[in-house]
Amino acid sequence: MSASAGRGPSDPVPAYYPGCSLDGLGKAYEVTCQQVLDRLGLSLDRIVDYNCCGATEVKNLSEDVSVALPARNLALARSMDRHQVVAACNGCVYSLARANDAVQGPATRDRVNAMLTQGGAPAYDGSASVQHVLEFIYQRAGPDRVRAAVRRPLAGLTVAPYYGCLYTRPKRYTGAGKTPGTDDPEHPHFLDELLVACGAKIVPEFSAKTICCGGGHALSDLEVSVAFSASILNEATRAGADLVATICPLGQINIENHLDRVRAAYGPEVIRPVAYFTQLMSLAFGASVREARLADNFSRPDSLLRARGFP
Amino acid sequence: MPIVEKSLVRVDRTEKLELEGIDVSGDWNTFLRSRVWTDLDVKVADWVRAQPGGDTIDRCWQCGTCTAGCCMHTDFGLTEFNPRYFIYLAQIGYEEELRRYAHTIWRCVSCNKCVERCPKGVKVEEVVHTIGSYLERTGAAPESPADRFDRAYTENLLNRGILDEAALFRTYERLEGRKTPTRELLRMGLALFTSGRLRTGPFAHRTRGWGKMREVLRARLEEETRQRRVPVPKPPVGAGGGR
Repeated sequence: MSASAGRGPSDPVPAYYPGCSLDGLGKAYEVTCQQVLDRLGLSLDRIVDYNCCGATEVKNLSEDVSVALPARNLALARSMDRHQVVAACNGCVYSLARANDAVQGPATRDRVNAMLTQGGAPAYDGSASVQHVLEFIYQRAGPDRVRAAVRRPLAGLTVAPYYGCLYTRPKRYTGAGKTPGTDDPEHPHFLDELLVACGAKIVPEFSAKTICCGGGHALSDLEVSVAFSASILNEATRAGADLVATICPLGQINIENHLDRVRAAYGPEVIRPVAYFTQLMSLAFGASVREARLADNFSRPDSLLRARGFP
Repeated sequence: MPIVEKSLVRVDRTEKLELEGIDVSGDWNTFLRSRVWTDLDVKVADWVRAQPGGDTIDRCWQCGTCTAGCCMHTDFGLTEFNPRYFIYLAQIGYEEELRRYAHTIWRCVSCNKCVERCPKGVKVEEVVHTIGSYLERTGAAPESPADRFDRAYTENLLNRGILDEAALFRTYERLEGRKTPTRELLRMGLALFTSGRLRTGPFAHRTRGWGKMREVLRARLEEETRQRRVPVPKPPVGAGGGR
């Protein structure tokens, strides 16, 4: 029960798990994460030779492989002498935390460790805690230090903060809501507060905050994943948002990947640009639209932001 | 095949009753006719329980919190997607009714709201997936698109340790016999290429020293796939087929 029994020791510089997305489609997320952390004087130490976490897919085929994949990364973090692992993708947070829960069972732990050792990786004892980078920034810097770091407030920008599904869910794996440094699983607010600290306005009520983006079925069930992307954009539009802020590459890519389909089904008026929260924070910290890589996003928030006077 | 008989309505029999000189003897205290199911099979729950993702099925006490918050049920509006009911059917072993949802169960998007909210600690999402794979492995449901994707995803990942997103996209499109219009592919490809995000094939990321791990994980994957095969019971001798 380590995941729910509270976080272990806190590292001055936790390990950083990039996962496949941040090294691939979500490059803008990684680059701006780094910019934000630098500006706030926070550091993370990248796990070299990490492997993909298996997200929610592998577990449907093999329990042991679905635990061994994330456990290898947690074991690498422990061999770097870190107790804390920070990930920026909701899917990664979920599968890393799930592996932590699974290795509490001695039988699973023994089987997984046998596989790890055989494969040339260190064994894992379940002693690393997992945190989302949003929680990490909130806990270590908080709204006050963020406010102090702002050079160009996001004034006049109304943002819909979209957390998505696996940021804190389920608490039995993430320990969310009952562990220091974790957000509320039903009503998360860390992103709201950080964006407000950056000078943005948050839509008064955003009921799509924690709904699923359908990303797990982005290719295998278009009807569902388009419908969820549309719900998020529809609700952001209804609430009066200029753009949607995301904290997960799966959510970002799924919504953007379906833009044409949503536009065709619901009309162009529900489309809002979508950006990683770190792109917006970086912008507030003084980066240009180009430096925050906002033109990388298919939904092109760069046009909106340039029109609002951001250089 | 073990047969479980279970009456859904308990009839309180009043054998003889006379009210003001009128004989009203009969079956009272019930508004439904007694029904007896003879095709319930505990094998379903036994199999689900034996799987790593299905071990929490017995904790469910049918409160329905999972269905109430389920995004497939409420947000997407597919009312026949009802995790509470799927679990119920698996628990009592009503396989025939369960088969009616063979084309529905796989659509769970794994948002985990059900797991988050379950007051009894049922890993609903994993149990539902396990029930889905029971149907597939008994041949009651065809292999679902999600299953094909899971397989393509896992193979892609195990290959180099790091997912090759573009290759996965291509493989999966081929599996489904689907073709994204070239114009759309070019537009996406160009955007990814100019921002340095198109790393695929020989240029894809890889985990150093992954070779040994790949073998170990592939062997384990194959073993678990074999284990999960459900033995299909032989029909009894002389069975005329159909009830």
